[in-house]
Amino acid sequence: MALDCGKTIDEISEYLDSGRSPYDPEIETCPDCLNALDALERAGRLSRDLIAADAAQLPEPSESWFDGVMTAVRAELRAGRSIPLSHPDPRVSMSVTEGAVQALIRASGDAIDGVFIGHSRIVGDVEVPEAPIAVDITASVAWGESLPAAAGAVRQAVSEALAQHTELNITAVDVTVEDLHRPFPSKDTA
Amino acid sequence: MRADESGPVTDLQAAPDGILAARAASGDAEAFDALLRRHTRIVRAYVYRIVGTLSETDDVVQDAFLTAWRQLSTLRDPGAVKAWLMKIASREAYAHLRRRPAHDTLDGFDRAAEAGLLPEAAAIRNAQLQALSLALDALPEAQRRCWLLREVGSLSYTEIAEEMNLPLSTVRGNLSRARASITIQMAGWR
Repeated sequence: MALDCGKTIDEISEYLDSGRSPYDPEIETCPDCLNALDALERAGRLSRDLIAADAAQLPEPSESWFDGVMTAVRAELRAGRSIPLSHPDPRVSMSVTEGAVQALIRASGDAIDGVFIGHSRIVGDVEVPEAPIAVDITASVAWGESLPAAAGAVRQAVSEALAQHTELNITAVDVTVEDLHRPFPSKDTA
Repeated sequence: MRADESGPVTDLQAAPDGILAARAASGDAEAFDALLRRHTRIVRAYVYRIVGTLSETDDVVQDAFLTAWRQLSTLRDPGAVKAWLMKIASREAYAHLRRRPAHDTLDGFDRAAEAGLLPEAAAIRNAQLQALSLALDALPEAQRRCWLLREVGSLSYTEIAEEMNLPLSTVRGNLSRARASITIQMAGWR
C-alpha cells in the first residue's frame, strides 16, 4: 500500500512508532507523508477516545467490587522491617514498622501547603540502633510555589517528625521534586 | 503511632498519577485506592471489548488491579501508570480468553456490541468516532485485536505476539494492514 509520493504506509507507521526520530527530512517535507502521519496519529488517539466513550456508557462497578479489590490489596500490604525502639526495661522490646514510618514521612510532607509526597525510601540498616539512615523522598509541588522552598520545608518537616517519633539516626533527608501539579484550593480546613 | 490521626487528611483525588503510583509503590494503600477509582472505568471498557460480558469483565479487571498492586515495584515511570495498567489488563484479559472453553469463539468485540450495552457503530454521534468504529468493525478479527492491543493497550509488537500466540511477522503484517485500511477509511477527515 503506497502513497502517491512512493512511500508505503508501513514506512510511515514505523516512522511514527519510532517517535519520528531520527528526523527524516524526506518524510517531514512531503505533504502526502505528513497527511498519512497525521491520519495515523489521529486514528490511534481516536481508538483511545472510543474506549473512553465506552467507559461513559458502561454501568459502574458496585461498591462491593471496589471493596473486594482493596480488601485483597490490604491483606498483602507488607509492613516492612521492624525498627527497634528503646525501653528502660530490658525485658520489653518495642518496635515500629517501616510501613508506619513511611506513613509518617508522607503525612508530614503532605502537611506542607502545595506539596504531595510521592515515593519514600528508608535506606540503611534500620534494625540496628544508631546505624546511619538516609531518607529518599520524591514530591510534586503546585505551580507557583518556590521549588527550593518547598523541598526545604519538606526536609525540615520530615526530619522533625522522624526525630520526634523514632530513634533513627537520620544522616540525610533527600527531597527530589519530580513533578508539578495544578494548585488546588488550600488544604487547610476551618 | 498512627500518623493519620492528627491534621487534615491528604486529598489524594487531586494528586497526579505519578504521585499516586509512587506512593502506592511505597506501600500507601490509600493512594492505590485513588488510582483504582480514577482508572477503573477506562480499564473496564477496554476489557469489556476483549471479553464481551460484564461479569467476566468484573473478574478480569479485579485480577488486573491485584496484579498491578503486586508488581508496582517494577513500574519504572510512575507517571505512565495508566498505560501500564492497560497493559496488565490486556494480559489478564487474554489469559482469561485462553482459559475459556474452545467452542465459545464469538469475538469480544462483537459480543459487546450485540449485548446492547454499547452503541452500534452507526449510532455513534461523534462523526470521527463513528468513522473509526465503522473502520474497526470492517477489519478481520485478528487485525482488529492487534490494533486494539497496540493503540489502546500500549503493548509492544513482541508482547502482542506473545498474547495472541502469533509469530512477530504476522503481528507486523496485521498491524500494517489494519493501519492501511483505517487510514484509507479515515482519509476523508481533516
